[in-house]
Amino acid sequence: MDYIDPHIHMVSRTTDDYETLARMGCVAMSEPAFWAGFDRGSVESFRDYFRQLTEFEPKRAAQFGIKHYTWLCINAKEAENVSLSREVIAMIPEFLEASNVLGIGEIGLNKNTKNESTIFLEHVDLAARFNQQILIHTPHLEDKYQGTKMILDMLVSDARIERSRVLVDHVEEHTIQEVLDRGFWAGMTLYPITKCTPARAADMIERFGTERLMANSAGDWGPSKPTAIPDLIMELKRRGHSRELIRKVVYENPCEFFSQSKNFKAPIAPS
Amino acid sequence: MSQDPKPPARSAEKVLSEEFFIARSKILDLAATLDRLERADGSLEALHQLKLLEQGMEILLDDQSDKAKRVQLLMSRPYDPDWRKNYGLH
Ligand SMILES: [Zn+2]
Repeated sequence: MDYIDPHIHMVSRTTDDYETLARMGCVAMSEPAFWAGFDRGSVESFRDYFRQLTEFEPKRAAQFGIKHYTWLCINAKEAENVSLSREVIAMIPEFLEASNVLGIGEIGLNKNTKNESTIFLEHVDLAARFNQQILIHTPHLEDKYQGTKMILDMLVSDARIERSRVLVDHVEEHTIQEVLDRGFWAGMTLYPITKCTPARAADMIERFGTERLMANSAGDWGPSKPTAIPDLIMELKRRGHSRELIRKVVYENPCEFFSQSKNFKAPIAPS
Repeated sequence: MSQDPKPPARSAEKVLSEEFFIARSKILDLAATLDRLERADGSLEALHQLKLLEQGMEILLDDQSDKAKRVQLLMSRPYDPDWRKNYGLH
């Protein structure tokens, strides 16, 4: 089945992974800017990274017929460095006209600190000023509940932000309801150990429905599985869900959400 | 356009028969982890993480629903609605 992975960090994957994803039905993906596994020393490091995301990765993906989109920001972990973050935020507009940029992301919180919150608010302001969509990273483990609520507080306090243009990722059983009830899109990250399994994601689809809900693999530097969405498709099929329902979650919903960015073009995929 | 997210026919018996061996193996993993802890040196009494695991296991056995969410909340730091004021962020 054709699908879109709305959150996958391909800079950390091999070219073989692109080939495997293409064989499994991945037709498009979006890659939010994130932590590199180490803290970067200067704004120039981020400029090079944004070139990688806007120039190199789309070409690597295109070799396998996959359309590559991206989101730009300084991630929550490095946002602890406020002065570096402000330099990066000031530089981002240089890249907003690149043809594969969908918006600002993945912005969010990591340890829910004051500095992270300050930089989150400045990213939200950047998105509002440039009419960009937003992709949100919510914290992991014991910080997720508190951090997700703090993020929602900050988003709803800015009247310029349209909730239907914000995707809140890494939702789990204790955060999904509030994200959806407040009118945002929600993404479930299928990740071994620290996040959500395909079975639990299928449970959330059964409980909360398919409106404004997507699934992603994250596929990053940590232990993660870039082919996690096909695993979810298998789980939903095993439970007897219809092809239409599965396609809505893994293909139509990402298309509908991304279509609010002027750069997104729906991949041609037979239903 | 909202679709019915429920699968056509998956009775409690079917769910149980499909999930039984998975759940069984998870209980065994947990049991073996607790055995491993017991064999290790040192006292476990004051360990906060162990308390959390025990409280989590109590949720599994009580008669309330929403177990996954309640385990998640048990393992979460609390949210303070006044956080923004406390941080001096307006
Ligand atoms: Zn990510």
